Amino acid sequence: MIKDGKKGMLKEDFTKYKLKPAKELKELVSGKENILVLSCNKCFKEFVSIAEPEYQEAAEIVKSAGKTVSGYIPVDYLCNQYLTEKILNKYKNEIENSGAVLVIACGLGIQTVSQLVNKQVLPAADSVWQNGFHGVTLSAEKCGACGECFLTSTGGICPVVDCSKGLVNGPCGGAKNGKCEVGKHRECAWELIYNRLEKQGRTKNFIDETPKLRNYRRNNFKLVDEYVKLIRAKRSEGFYGGLYPVELKELTFDIPIEVFPEQDIVIIPLSQHAGLACEPLVKKGDKVKKGQKIGETAKSPITAPVHSSVSGEVIEIAPKKHAVLSAPVLSVVIKSDRKQELDVSVKPAGTVDSLAKEKIAEIIKDKGIVGMGGAGFPTAVKLKSPKPVDTVLINGCECEPLLNADYRVMLERPAELILGLRLIMKAAGVLKGIIAVEDNKPAAAEKLKALLTGDSSITVETVKTKYPQGAERMLIKRVLKRDVPLGGLPLDVGVIVNNVGTAYAVWDAVYNGMPLIRRVLTVSGETVPKKGNFEVLVGTQLKEIVKFCGISLRSDEVLKTGGPMMGVIQQDLEAPVIKGTSGIVVVKKHDIVESGPDCIKCGRCVEVCPMELKPTFYVLLAKQGKYAEMENHGVLNCIECGCCDNICAAKSSIVEIIKQAKKTIREKKK
Amino acid sequence: MLITKVKTKEELLPVLSGRVLVIPCLGCSQSYFPVEEFNRLKDELKSSGANLASEVTFDYMCREDFTERRLEIYREQLEAADTVLIFSCGVGIQTFAGLIPGKKIVSGSDTFYVPGFPGFTPSEHDCEQCGECRMGLTFGICPVTACSKGLLNGQCGGAKDGKCEVDKNMACGWQRIFERMNALKGSDKALKEGVQIRDYKKSSL
Repeated sequence: MIKDGKKGMLKEDFTKYKLKPAKELKELVSGKENILVLSCNKCFKEFVSIAEPEYQEAAEIVKSAGKTVSGYIPVDYLCNQYLTEKILNKYKNEIENSGAVLVIACGLGIQTVSQLVNKQVLPAADSVWQNGFHGVTLSAEKCGACGECFLTSTGGICPVVDCSKGLVNGPCGGAKNGKCEVGKHRECAWELIYNRLEKQGRTKNFIDETPKLRNYRRNNFKLVDEYVKLIRAKRSEGFYGGLYPVELKELTFDIPIEVFPEQDIVIIPLSQHAGLACEPLVKKGDKVKKGQKIGETAKSPITAPVHSSVSGEVIEIAPKKHAVLSAPVLSVVIKSDRKQELDVSVKPAGTVDSLAKEKIAEIIKDKGIVGMGGAGFPTAVKLKSPKPVDTVLINGCECEPLLNADYRVMLERPAELILGLRLIMKAAGVLKGIIAVEDNKPAAAEKLKALLTGDSSITVETVKTKYPQGAERMLIKRVLKRDVPLGGLPLDVGVIVNNVGTAYAVWDAVYNGMPLIRRVLTVSGETVPKKGNFEVLVGTQLKEIVKFCGISLRSDEVLKTGGPMMGVIQQDLEAPVIKGTSGIVVVKKHDIVESGPDCIKCGRCVEVCPMELKPTFYVLLAKQGKYAEMENHGVLNCIECGCCDNICAAKSSIVEIIKQAKKTIREKKK
Repeated sequence: MLITKVKTKEELLPVLSGRVLVIPCLGCSQSYFPVEEFNRLKDELKSSGANLASEVTFDYMCREDFTERRLEIYREQLEAADTVLIFSCGVGIQTFAGLIPGKKIVSGSDTFYVPGFPGFTPSEHDCEQCGECRMGLTFGICPVTACSKGLLNGQCGGAKDGKCEVDKNMACGWQRIFERMNALKGSDKALKEGVQIRDYKKSSL
């Protein structure tokens, strides 16, 4: 990947900053005692090692000046004020007791630290000028950010920065043999421009153009300052990190829920949840009814039973393709008799007022209710919190682009949803319920609010639209201002989070006696002929939905179950819809994917990671096989939201790398 | 990392000839890309008769190797186009133009300066990479970027109520340095000792 410095993305011996000469450093620390050293690992470089060599060098110089180094804090991306502040807070005493803080970083890092510590900050390094910074990478191209781009008339060569005099109307006449008179090593930009325009046959156009004057006022402090404040505010909206992907919600936003027709065959996987897989309760040839329990296990409390979504006959019990798990999963294949005969167990159990707390919890467990946002955590397990819980939070964010299933449920079935929430609250012994809705769905929020007037136990909170606002951690932080500890659960801060679909399913289970055998999902994508929000029976094969909706994938598209950000790419379409399938979406493939990605350490992933991790480290460490170190850097906390993947300037499949690493780490632990 | 503003219809119409391929570069869109203005401009151009024949999306156009590969991926669209209208910062446009010098390129946007470039996000701090960091003398506030005139030896005297005479929205950098010095109970002795002269050669190529 390293090319020569002239043309290409990385300079071989590029350094972000260089340490000041020893003499200067010694002068800098004279009169200071107990020097605390902070160093930044450089950015925009070929990322081969986490440790930077400058610290050792600087420490030796400081020592040779007869001073003591009282501590050393390496910080990656020192200019990231939010994360740096958190790190420095841990070292309050060390900073307080030091005589001065010596910072090895570029000017930004130094200024950031200056603002955060109440000590004199000494810069130990000089920043190195580089081209190409406006982009993401170092390149031979410069941009002066003049605010009035001239590149159109100059064939894409910049007269402002490439001409040493910044002339915008033609050459000065001082060039000799194509070299600039200011510096012989420089090419005359205007000669380059002329040659290029000649190639395009545009020289006459250029000569005919009226002379241009530069307007230096375009780029004024106020304008830039306002932008920067706006961008900074947006970036830290609600929670650190995150993205604003193109949503395209409008594709199915106004399409009412439609019942998807029952198919001849359903395939019910015995594992559709986090936890232990079920054992089949039926065998080949058995007749089953709709809603009949066909799988469960008593071997672990963390599991959820599965039920038949049709009436008919079991024709096969065998490992089948799964929409989420990579290996085939033991599944019950049922041929429908189209009679839709209900099992005797499918009958109303009572109401939120008539049923006891324990009874509701029992129904939730018995009817196989799991988190329907994707992770599939058994809801009954959440209810039995060993820790005190004070709030049930219903996640109505649906922050994934394209998906509208939860939105339609909130809009069309709000009363049922609220009853579902009340049931969960009662079962968990909680008095406060919150339904959080992103501000791109005002109609849903209004509808819910209207049904809740005069009721103070449940509130509807509108949150800013930002991905992944719907992740539990971010939601709790945003709505309740509580920080779920790393590696912890919402229960640790007294919260149970449930998806909109889950709350509806709880209502369905109690008021109709219907187990979780159907769910609303969105089928969408710009090229999908019949888009919509469908109530689909669990077990319906993807190929049936694809056929029904007229989907035919183009060569540059992929089909995912779930949303575009976190969804799982489906190669063949044999797998069935499961309890956690929130959508079937057709999205464009990335046009470039790197097989052996070379991180350029631009830090974009660090800036967008809502878990405040450093995804860039994982790419490097995975390459080096250092799994223990990955774990130290918190890889197990990754929620796989895909922000890093989405923004990666090196086109690494970071989430895939992380998923593999997590798997390896977990296997090693077993 | 950049701020780009789309140019006006009046600026672009005269230079768009024949079939136009539109390429927005969305690599930095999480920092800033004016999506609404971009879409509005396209509508305006179309209704004024410009032939915006096709559109492909790039990201990180400044990465030469990716852009080179994309020229191959989107060869069909490129070959069919007489003009390529690019919405990117200056680095992206120059990278693209350098790889396909025979093609007429039109820059659809103007690039504005953003503090914080040497780091990874727009920031209230700025670093000009002058190559001779003086912040040890100036208490962590950079005189090169925080003073509109880049003065290294103290204030010019033109500030009023702490605001710069060049731009009244901007705080006087030297006043900030002075205030910070007092807050830290620091001394300006070293600063007064010698005259600082900037060596511009350190930051030029």
